[in-house]
This record gives sequence, C-alpha cells and structure tokens, in this order.
Amino acid sequence: MGRENFHRILEETQQDVLRMGSLVEEAIAKAVDALTRADIALADEILRFDDYIDDLNVLIESNCLNLLALQQPMASDLRVIAAMLDIVIDLERIGDHACDIAQITKNLGSEPPLKPLVDIPKMAVLAREMVRESLDAFANRDAALAHAVPPKDDEVDRLYRKIFRELIEIMIKDPTAISRGSNLILVASYLERIADHSTNICERVVYTVEGVPKNLKRSVVEFKTAIAQADEMLHGHEKTGSQ
Amino acid sequence: MSAAGVPNDIDAALQQRFLALAHAVPVGIIVVNPRGRVTAFNSAAEEIFAVPAARAVGRALIETVRNFELDRRVAAALSQGIESAAEVTHVGTERRLRVKVMPLGRSDGRRDAVAIVEDLTALRDLTELRRDFVSNVSHELRTPLTAVKIMVETLQAGADAQAQATFLDSIAHETDRMIALVEELLDLARMESGRLQLAMGPVELGDLCRAAVAAQAARAKGLGIELSAGVPPAPLSMVGDRDKLFQVMLNLIDNALRNTPSGGRVTASVRAVGDGLEIAVDDTGCGIPVDALPHLFERFFVVDRSRARNISGTGLGLAIVKHIVELHGGSVMALSELNAGSQFLCRFPR
Repeated sequence: MGRENFHRILEETQQDVLRMGSLVEEAIAKAVDALTRADIALADEILRFDDYIDDLNVLIESNCLNLLALQQPMASDLRVIAAMLDIVIDLERIGDHACDIAQITKNLGSEPPLKPLVDIPKMAVLAREMVRESLDAFANRDAALAHAVPPKDDEVDRLYRKIFRELIEIMIKDPTAISRGSNLILVASYLERIADHSTNICERVVYTVEGVPKNLKRSVVEFKTAIAQADEMLHGHEKTGSQ
Repeated sequence: MSAAGVPNDIDAALQQRFLALAHAVPVGIIVVNPRGRVTAFNSAAEEIFAVPAARAVGRALIETVRNFELDRRVAAALSQGIESAAEVTHVGTERRLRVKVMPLGRSDGRRDAVAIVEDLTALRDLTELRRDFVSNVSHELRTPLTAVKIMVETLQAGADAQAQATFLDSIAHETDRMIALVEELLDLARMESGRLQLAMGPVELGDLCRAAVAAQAARAKGLGIELSAGVPPAPLSMVGDRDKLFQVMLNLIDNALRNTPSGGRVTASVRAVGDGLEIAVDDTGCGIPVDALPHLFERFFVVDRSRARNISGTGLGLAIVKHIVELHGGSVMALSELNAGSQFLCRFPR
C-alpha cells in the first residue's frame, strides 16, 4: 500500500463514516415518525436499515485496522483512525436505539395513543441535530463546532425529565396506561442516549483536531433522582388515595 | 478542472454559460467528477440542502450533503454508469425530493455523474392539506347525514307523535348545519375566484357586535363559556357589507368558542383606533403556538390535528374572515400566548 493509496483509503473510510452517519440520522427520523403515526410498515423498514448500518460498521472497522497495521500512521492520521474506530461504535449504538424505537412502535401496534406525542418528537429533532452537527464537526475538523454541540444535551435532558414525570403521572392515575407509558419512557431514554453518543463523537473530534482528550459530557440524567421523584409521586398518591 | 467546476473538456466560455444556466434553473443540479468530487452545485441545490456551493464544490458529496441514498446513486452512476431515479427524504432539511442521477460521458472516456434534484416538499404538503380537508369535510357532512338517515328510517317505521316532532326538529337542525357548511365552501370558492360582490352600505359595528354575541349566546352558555360584547357608547359606523361583516364576527366568536375550555371567557369588542376601526375577539383559551401564527388564516389550516378532531372545524372560518376583511380594505392579525389565550384583530380604514 503506497502513501497515496493510504490517503485514498483513509479518505474513503472517512466518507463511509459520514455515510453511516447519514443512515443513522435517517433511522432516528423515521423511527420517531413511525412511532408518532403508529406506522408499522415504516418501523419494519428501519429494522432492515440496520443491516446497511452494520455492514458499513464492519467495513469501516476493517479498513481502519488495515490502515493501522499496514501503514503505522503517525500524529493526526493516527488520531483520525482512532477517532473513527470510536465514532463507529457510537453510530452503531445510535442505529440500535433507532431500531429499539421501531421495535416499540411494533409492540404498541394499534393500541390507542396515550396522548398526542409532542415532546418526544422535539427530543428527536434535537438529538438528530446533535448527531448531524457532531458529524459536521468531524467532516470539517471543526473543533469549535464540536465544543458547541454538547451543551445542547441540557435541553434533551430537560425534555427527558419532563416526559418521564408526565408519563409517571399518567400511569399513576391510570394503571391500564402502564404498558404504553413505560414503552414511551424507554423511547425517551433511547433518545437521551442518542444525544449522549453524539457528545462522545464530539469528544473524538476535539481529540482529533486538538490532540488533547477532553471530557465534554454534561451532567448525566440522574436516574436515581428521577426514580426518587417518581416514588415520591406514587407515595403522595397513595396517601391522598387512603385519606 | 476549473475551480467552478464542470469537466475540463468544455471551453471556459461554455463553462461559464453552463454555470449561469444551472444557477437559473429551479431544480437542484449537482455534478460529480470521476474522482467523486463535486464540481458544480447550483443555487437550487444550495437551497434544498442548505449547503453553500463554496463548501460543497471540491469535496466528496457525502461530506456536505449527508444523504446516503443520493450518494449511493451517484456512486453507481460513476462506477457502473447506472442511471436511476427515486423519491428520497432528506432528513437534514426535512425535504421530500425526487432525484434523478445520470452518468455523463467525457471525452477522456471516463464519466461524471449528474444529479437532478426536484423539491417535492411543497407539493407533498399541499397533497396532505387537501387530503385532510377532504376527510374533514366528508366527516362534517357525513355525521349529520347519518343522523338524518337514522331519524328518517325511524319515522318511516312509525313513531309516536312526540318522537316525530323531536325527530323533525333534529332533522331540520342537521340539514341547516350541512347547508351552512356547503355555503361556507361556496363562499370561499367565490371569494377566491374574485366573484363575490359586496353589498356595500352603512354599517354600525356596535349593533353588529351585540347581534353576533346574541346569536352565539346560547351556544356559549351550553359550553360553559362567558361570552360578552364590548361596545363603546358612541356609534361606530363604517361602509361595508353588513351580512359579510356579521359573518366575520360570527366566525371569530365561533373560533374562540371552539378553542376555549369550559369556564373560560370570550369577549367580542369593537372600537375606534386612530383613523380606523377595529374588531377584536379575545379568548382565554389554549393559545396558539408561535410557529402556527403565520398560517392561521390559510385555508384548511388546523393548529393541532389531534386537538382539532375533538372540536371539529372545517378550517375555513378564519380564511373566510381574512378574505372578507381584505375585500373591505382591512387587515387581520392574531396575537396569542400559549395556555393563556388569543386575540384576533380586524382593522378597517374608516
């Protein structure tokens, strides 16, 4: 493998990462669309999508390993390859979460909706935007953009907490809503994870460009706090119920 | 290869003309060279993908236009000369696109790929709007028709005198509802084709306001909404079509009643403002999201479909208001705060 060949393969692999990113972004959009419209056929389409995503994942990984093994790249090339190996893991997980959401759409089937979905689509738009921008940052080696994306996670977390609270309240009032409600909580948590994965991607971009690893993570959604709040609501309900 | 792009076997002048032409065309045009680099990216493509040509040209397509399907087709055209066409969604800008990708042979034996991208988003939105409208109107017509049919069948089967009277009243009421809806549709069609003739004359807005409130009073009471008229002591006269202006008031009050929960308040008022007159209808209803405000007066627009189903409207009332007000040389406006209420304003020159 000549030097020119090395750069060609490196470049193509980066493009494959962006291809995988575009598939993943579309998968999130379609998954939430399918959920909102209870569109089982669309949900099935996403599950098939995942094969493409997985194929790209394997291709990128093997290209990266070949580049590492055969060329012993240095400095920025090495960091790019290392970053790609990490980024594809995040993208693959994001794709899996899109599939999880599609699976939930199938599980819910034609059950009547609990309530019109408003905040979940909002969360999805934000999460998708974060994925897209993190990959823009990667494509353009734009460390400033990579730094600007993670703060958006705060809004995703806020929506997550809001959805969690609302659904718990609905389930407390109406136990027949528990199956639908808990499924929707899962959807929200997947979207929250997707946003976190895009933060990981940004960290890799910053490392690639600046050469220094940085932790860009925002405060993690406190599951314990959220669950404690739910407990409190539940107990409050029981108390009023027994009076 | 020039910076601007297009194959280098075309002379410079021709290249300039090609680019000028490409930029003037309303469909997106993207040219990709045998090495997979974008060499031309016209204005429509910039708009569709929200990517400036300066960023796209010279790079691999996927680096700026993150669309797997388009990229795959371009790759197939470049490597295997495959021509293809498909409808694809571009999630980045939420557009529905029809793409056609063709290989374009060069004199050096290699080939470029040309992607022609047509934006179907507006068409799709329009189709959805029409479908919603048709289903809405059909629903609005079918509901009273079904009721009428059942009552007629019962009458045919024989019913006692009291039931007969009740059913006949209901049938009359339901047919009135259907006639009103059909009238609304015809009115709007007339207004939009410019065939509506206004019967101009002196109109006293205060009287009109009180009459409109009186006409909706029973309904408001049934809904548990406090409906009142705010009319200044001095008469407010203008020249206009009395019946049509009455319809404006009725439609605005009707809209407010639909969107206000029980226990809320709706106030219709008229007043002099500067050198003009104003009709205002305020409610304490659920309010209108900011992004919906610009579309309120569009035909068939319904803020929230899930909400609208419960409070069935045809989506025509406000469009009719806008047409009538504008035929009078006036303007309409909506102000709103989510979960606090809305205000609809019509301003007329005196």
